[in-house]
Amino acid sequence: MEQFFQQLTNGLAVGGIYALIALGYTMVYGVLKLINFAHGDLFSIGAYLGLTLLLSMGLFDKIGALASVLLLVVMVMVLVAIIGALLERVAYKPLRQSHRLTAVVSALGASIFFQNAIMAIYGPGLLVYPHDLLPRIAVNIFGVDIPLMRIVMFLASVVLMAALYFFIQKTKIGTAIRAVAIDQGAARLMGINVDRVIMLVFCIGPALGGSAGLMVGLYYGQINFNMGWMYGLKAFTAAILGGIGNIPGAMLGGLLLGVIEAMGAAYISIAWKDALSFGVLILILIARPTGLLGERVAEKV
Amino acid sequence: MKQRICTLVCLSVMVCMLGMGTGWAKTVRIGLMCPLTGSWASEGQDMKQIVEMLVAQSNEAGGINGIQVDLVVEDDGGDPRQAALAATRLTTKDIAAVIGTYGSSVTEASQNIYAESDILQVATGSTAIRLTEKGLPLFMRTCPRDDEQGMVAAKTLDKLGFKKIAILHDNTSYAKGLADEAKALLKSEGKEIVFFDALTPGERDYNAILTKLKSSVPDVLFFTGYYPEAGMILRQKMDMGWNVPMLGGDATNNPDLVKIAGEKAAEGYMFLSPPVPGDLNTPEAKKFLTDYKAAYGKAPGSVWAVLAGDAYRVIAEAVAQTGATKSDKLAAYLKHDLKDFSGLTGKISFNDKGDRVGDLYRVYKVDAAGKFILQP
Amino acid sequence: MKPTQIFAILFAALMATCPFFLNAYWTDVMNNVGIYAILALSLNVILGHAGLFHMGHAAFYAIGAYLTAILNTQYGVPVLWLILPAGLMAGFFALIVARPIIHLRGDYLLIVTIGIVEIVRIALINNVFDITGGANGIYGISRPMLFGFKIAKPFHFYYLIWSFAALTIFLLIRLEHSRFGRALHYIKEDEVAAGGCGINIARYKLEAFVIGAVWAGMCGTIYASKMTIIAPESFSFDESVILFTIVILGGAGSIPGVILGSFLLVGLPEVFRGFAEYRMLIFGAAMMAMMIFRNRGLLPPRPKRYKLGEIASAGGAK
Repeated sequence: MEQFFQQLTNGLAVGGIYALIALGYTMVYGVLKLINFAHGDLFSIGAYLGLTLLLSMGLFDKIGALASVLLLVVMVMVLVAIIGALLERVAYKPLRQSHRLTAVVSALGASIFFQNAIMAIYGPGLLVYPHDLLPRIAVNIFGVDIPLMRIVMFLASVVLMAALYFFIQKTKIGTAIRAVAIDQGAARLMGINVDRVIMLVFCIGPALGGSAGLMVGLYYGQINFNMGWMYGLKAFTAAILGGIGNIPGAMLGGLLLGVIEAMGAAYISIAWKDALSFGVLILILIARPTGLLGERVAEKV
Repeated sequence: MKQRICTLVCLSVMVCMLGMGTGWAKTVRIGLMCPLTGSWASEGQDMKQIVEMLVAQSNEAGGINGIQVDLVVEDDGGDPRQAALAATRLTTKDIAAVIGTYGSSVTEASQNIYAESDILQVATGSTAIRLTEKGLPLFMRTCPRDDEQGMVAAKTLDKLGFKKIAILHDNTSYAKGLADEAKALLKSEGKEIVFFDALTPGERDYNAILTKLKSSVPDVLFFTGYYPEAGMILRQKMDMGWNVPMLGGDATNNPDLVKIAGEKAAEGYMFLSPPVPGDLNTPEAKKFLTDYKAAYGKAPGSVWAVLAGDAYRVIAEAVAQTGATKSDKLAAYLKHDLKDFSGLTGKISFNDKGDRVGDLYRVYKVDAAGKFILQP
Repeated sequence: MKPTQIFAILFAALMATCPFFLNAYWTDVMNNVGIYAILALSLNVILGHAGLFHMGHAAFYAIGAYLTAILNTQYGVPVLWLILPAGLMAGFFALIVARPIIHLRGDYLLIVTIGIVEIVRIALINNVFDITGGANGIYGISRPMLFGFKIAKPFHFYYLIWSFAALTIFLLIRLEHSRFGRALHYIKEDEVAAGGCGINIARYKLEAFVIGAVWAGMCGTIYASKMTIIAPESFSFDESVILFTIVILGGAGSIPGVILGSFLLVGLPEVFRGFAEYRMLIFGAAMMAMMIFRNRGLLPPRPKRYKLGEIASAGGAK
């Protein structure tokens, strides 16, 4: 039983990261019906930019750990948001009127480009965040040892997700985003600047992905140029699992995927755990063809 | 910058044409096949740097007995299909010998192509046993085989007195091969294998695996995969507060391991590896280290990239001794006449199959300062 | 003669003679182009004609290749005999896995097919049933023999691969203009209307899936015999992505487009070899640029034209 709880926390910690990245997929999908395959690489860029800022500014010595982490998160989010918006402008905007898969291929090209650009700039080897930036203390909850930073990281992702949820649901801009997601033409007639909204979505999604990259860098320490591909694929799976286009769905899907992986590794086989989580995904989709929280709508005609 | 690259390319093309056209200097053309892109790009780019540096040294010294060396580098992308293309491309470039490549299945995809074109191939990181069991006359390798390392691993674990052993690999052909060899040997010695499974390389969080491992209560964890994962495991193992001893294979012999894990977590970690140049007292190794640091501003990464340097050095030695630039003569010299050549990774001799002979493996332990200390 | 026909004949003539001008390396590049062209054409039936978002084509290709490798190395069955069994096996597998998922909407189908290719790869790497050789793969596959002639050099494979490609092209053109092809076209353009006209949508989609898979399986045999070693990394998700890109980039549903796409996607990384470690960077940028400037694909399918007179006379003859 203790092992079960331990594995549950392991799964939730991994799942929190998946969920945070999945949000970027799901938001972009919501407004553009585009699977942004370059999203995983924006996540890597976040991790690399975080390291560069960290090393070049020497923040930790000047203003202490907590303040510098917060500052770092903000800076990385802003920078990755700018890159995301540029990506939208260059690679996706000219394709908005064409077939959906056209933009997918453009996204795949962008992904290859980013991956190799990181390799060209930072070199092919892995890079390591400095150690002991963060306290390494474990907390004992119900007989299970959980490192403090995992709890912090999990809470941070939950806070970011909750903030996003309220932003989308309660604010005027959020309403505009939802309107564009439902019907671009009608939204435009209502006086919403659709281009601006899409640009905004391409800022928020990558910003969240970039912050996830920074968290992975800070907590796990090791980053390399192709790590975004695997995280991106997992997060895409999570977004689909929850029902793509649906924000609570992405959170649920991410956490669930993390837990399925941990449980699969614990009770079945480590080597087969990825196959297992895809298997579960396929079974869920056969039973619920639009994911767990996806709307049951007929394909548009 | 663009212009400079342009001029450089033009110049090098002109130099090449001059070299071939006039024939005033005898040249030997050597190929290097390595993963410059893809997941193993860091190894491949190190291999390229090392071999390029050694070639430049040979040429500055007036060539090997007056024979200039012309290096042709091709990217295999770490993928069998691309490797076959890279190999075919090299066969059209009139090369005397080829160095590489890294992964075993990638090397295997190129073996037949070189064999059919009668080109000597010296592999550098391909440890799968079967590569030299096919009886290809022109194939050899500077790295040891999985079975040898498996044997050393079993011996080391026995010597340290461990009874219950957990084996973790990563399902790459190298790690799986080593894990299988070690498992069979340990079982026959009556050791208990309490855990045998594979992680997925490239992930960041191995807590789920470690939690499961911990519940099998092993005396020691033998990890046969690569250093990025080994570093993460050490780090997360410490965070869990679980201090089981850990032994690794030679793919963890990389200074980055300590960077990833942190000195505290890496302390006491042991691994098997051929000696790196830093442990050798030979003038060749010392010169190599200083030259490499001068050229690239850092110490060479993994031992695998250094093995590519050794591959070049034995080929150069064969050219120097025989004065020949034909593959069959070079291979015959390397297999029969080269004895205890002072390499960058210890003494080098080859047997008839093309395998490197001699007991190469040493046990290393990481000390409190994160240095790799050779164990007696 | 129409200009397209002249162009097709010129192209065929060039392809038939080009190994005489090319060295072994470029011939081998052409072989790779050919293999990818066959695979992409088979994917085109599913993705281009039926409009199913399928990003897991490497799974079927892998099954064909592994069936060939296992039967050849274990039981010594000659490689070329295995083309049909490999295709049938891949088709059978496609039938089983596609049956329950064929009704999924676009992007959900996409992730499920990614899931299938990943599950197949993980199964291969974990040495499922102890026959796939794990990460090492299977080696020592024999070269194909054709009427006592051993096909071994790139030059020989060129003719094997491209004659198979020519056969594929011929059959697919026939398929495109058949009743089946027209039904797929209708489903792709307007599924609801097609259903309303009495077309059994699920059945046609499934048939398209199986036909594509059979062809990919047969191509797997050729690949296995050409490489003589196969390993799981040759059938990864990335490989499926390349095939997917070829079809979309070339122009989904257009046979000449898909062929051009395979030339570009397989050929360009080879042309960029001079850039060493930067070649994939340039390749990624080129991919984006091509999509932006030719956003319907390089050679999109042309609208179908039927002359009134021909239809009338054909109808009259019946």
